[in-house]
Amino acid sequence: MSLGDKLRYWSGNTLGLAALRVARWQAESFAVSAHTDPVSFREPNGPARTGARWQSDVLSPPLKISPRTKELIGHHYLKGRYANLHQKVAWVTSGAPIEFLKALDFYVLYPENHGAVCGTMRVAEEICTQAENAGYSHDLCSYARTDIGSVLSGKTPVGRLPKPDLLLACTNICQTVLFWYRVLARHFDVPLILIDTPFIYTEVREHDIAFVKRQIEEAIPLAEKIARKPLSASRLEDVARLSREASQLWAEIIGRGRHHPAPISVFDQFIQMAPVVEMRGEPFTVDFYAAMLKEVDERIARGVGAVKNERKRLLWDNLPIWYRLRYLAEYLGRHGIAIVASTYTNAWGELADRIDTQDPIDGMARTYIYPILNRGAGDKLATMKRMIEEYGLDGVILHSDRSCKPYSIGQMDQRDRLMRECGIPALLLEADHNDPRAYSEEQVANRLDAFIEMLGV
Amino acid sequence: MKGTGIPRRLDVIQEYRARGGSIAAVFPIHYPRELLRAFDILPVEVWGPPKVNGEMGTAHLQSYVCSIVQNALSFLQSGGLDTTDLLLVPHACDSLQGLGSLLIDFVKPCQPVLTLYIPRRQRDSDVDFLADELRAIYRRLEAITERSPSDLELVTAIRREEAADALLAELHRDRERFPLADEARYRLIRSREYLPAEEFIEITKESRAGFHLCLRHECKQTRQARRDENPALRGIPILLSGIAPEPMSLFAALAEMGAFVAADDLACCGRRLYPAGRSEEPFRRMAERIIYAPPDPTRGSPIQERLDYMLRLIETSGARGVVFYDVKFCEPELFDLPQLRQGLREAGIPSLALEVDLNDQLSQPILNRLAAFLEIIQ
Repeated sequence: MSLGDKLRYWSGNTLGLAALRVARWQAESFAVSAHTDPVSFREPNGPARTGARWQSDVLSPPLKISPRTKELIGHHYLKGRYANLHQKVAWVTSGAPIEFLKALDFYVLYPENHGAVCGTMRVAEEICTQAENAGYSHDLCSYARTDIGSVLSGKTPVGRLPKPDLLLACTNICQTVLFWYRVLARHFDVPLILIDTPFIYTEVREHDIAFVKRQIEEAIPLAEKIARKPLSASRLEDVARLSREASQLWAEIIGRGRHHPAPISVFDQFIQMAPVVEMRGEPFTVDFYAAMLKEVDERIARGVGAVKNERKRLLWDNLPIWYRLRYLAEYLGRHGIAIVASTYTNAWGELADRIDTQDPIDGMARTYIYPILNRGAGDKLATMKRMIEEYGLDGVILHSDRSCKPYSIGQMDQRDRLMRECGIPALLLEADHNDPRAYSEEQVANRLDAFIEMLGV
Repeated sequence: MKGTGIPRRLDVIQEYRARGGSIAAVFPIHYPRELLRAFDILPVEVWGPPKVNGEMGTAHLQSYVCSIVQNALSFLQSGGLDTTDLLLVPHACDSLQGLGSLLIDFVKPCQPVLTLYIPRRQRDSDVDFLADELRAIYRRLEAITERSPSDLELVTAIRREEAADALLAELHRDRERFPLADEARYRLIRSREYLPAEEFIEITKESRAGFHLCLRHECKQTRQARRDENPALRGIPILLSGIAPEPMSLFAALAEMGAFVAADDLACCGRRLYPAGRSEEPFRRMAERIIYAPPDPTRGSPIQERLDYMLRLIETSGARGVVFYDVKFCEPELFDLPQLRQGLREAGIPSLALEVDLNDQLSQPILNRLAAFLEIIQ
């Protein structure tokens, strides 16, 4: 790195970090007053507007730790902005086994998370259009279109994305990522490591595990070559341990939704899950979730619910509708309905105990083959039934996500069986996780109204 | 099979059953025919089929799932596959994965459902995994049929399919030897989807026999005259890419517009020109045949590799343009399209992208776009 680059990196990073810290302190001071003064709360999940006031009669204020979440995410993208100057960069899919990359000091970027940031900040449509103008079909996944649109146009709400030196795609969440990352590989002309995880229709076979393990083992030399350093076994164990601890804490936090009233809703979880997805394997992520768990327990002790007058409790299936989180939370909250559990946020905690810190590579193979999206539709139904039981739920909303076929195929049968076998209402809600053009507010409201009636609220 | 005609699918099924064999309905795209045949099971492929009443599928699948999967499920539920003894669902994309999962967990047809995971690269680990996967299928078939084909029987089945595939490749590449118009040629090519290899070989050799007879005696001028008359070489040559050429009347429409398909990159045709395997071990050999087939997005082939392959096809066939004939909602095809078209453009090859649904007739707008494209490349 040249002296000029060093200066750019250190000044940009230091000044940016300072700005983020100040923004956090400001937000925290609002949050403190929010928890004592009901009219001056800061908006949850909303844009970072200094001085914004919390204005909800039905939802409790966001967790006090929320400004720190924003700071963590902001800092992650800030580091990314200058990452090409001083470290190797890998773009990875959300379910990829990143521990060996972290242990090799790669800066790890998640295009899906960046897509979600674009979705919540309501710029995804504009960025998707850039990809569509280049010939990418409107029927393709909106995360992929957001990412490709951003790559082609340079548009992003996070300043600038670093160029990848390496791509890592793991098919444990969908096949779409394989098709998408092939596009990126050709565009950037960088190597694409593929970790191909055979789909588990009924049970995992030993040759499935052996295949995944072998691919991870074969990927490491290429990653070492790009990183220009060997992988340290002890460092890999540390990263695996930190990944496991963060995931376990996350599982505990979302598990607190079993309490009545639930101290945290899935709308909070959707935002708070960002660090466990994109900052696994870091000590500060473990500290962050330990602090969050403490705060959630304090809420339980004080009897604070995410929805102030919780009357009914629901399960959410599939990805969030990123651009309408607050609207949906408010709409349901007005009827005393809290969505307290989700198969999506659960996916980042349910595998925590599988992460093996003693034999990380074998552990990675056994963990990363097993996310909910790599398991059959019947297994997902069983997971939902278990959650309904454990969380004491009154109904289910299944987001039929046009952009996520592996999550959505099977939902029609799952809905019917949940209604028939669990005796609870279940609603299929048509939308798209990132593209508002596939979402009709009026239709959603009509369907939600009918569903609310079925819930007997 | 009698004479040189291609027998109907239903007749083939009935005849095979009458001989004591079983029938497997196989969904797209890649699978080892030889493994099924070693158990005396005839694979009959289900590419949709087109023009099925899709209502039964819509009870299980959202509208944004492609018509190949929608139709396959509807066809199954309406009794279209009642004549089959088992179902095989190879993994190709999220929609076919979902179909396999739905069949196993919710639809539960009366036939056993087998799944096959096709790995996405050409590494040694992929070959080893696929060989293991085929061994697992062998064990399932053993349990279902109570038969245990020996290695020799497996090798015999493999050699027979390799011979049929070699002939299939010839049928694709050597249009001079097979003087058939496109529709007839593709009916013959696609008969591989349900004909036993030995019958396919017989019919294909018969259609080539006439050519050999005249080749032996003709002079240069006669040969040129014959070439000019050959319907397989008449008109504007194009390369056809996509999943399946449905409806098959597409070929007649092309002929009417003065064009013919000089080469194809279709999932059901040209992307399944499986080479002979290298290994002597039967399961590895079957795996190699699939892994080293022509580039295919569902098997993870890099886009550059696909582009290079298409450019080679264009060069050897003399195609003047490429028609991408894609099924709506087909992610594997749609992701590659912009970069493939850009690469072709840079090589001076014009291309046209059409999106169709299996249940649609060839619409006038599509015909108009095709006609306009052909005018340009003419």
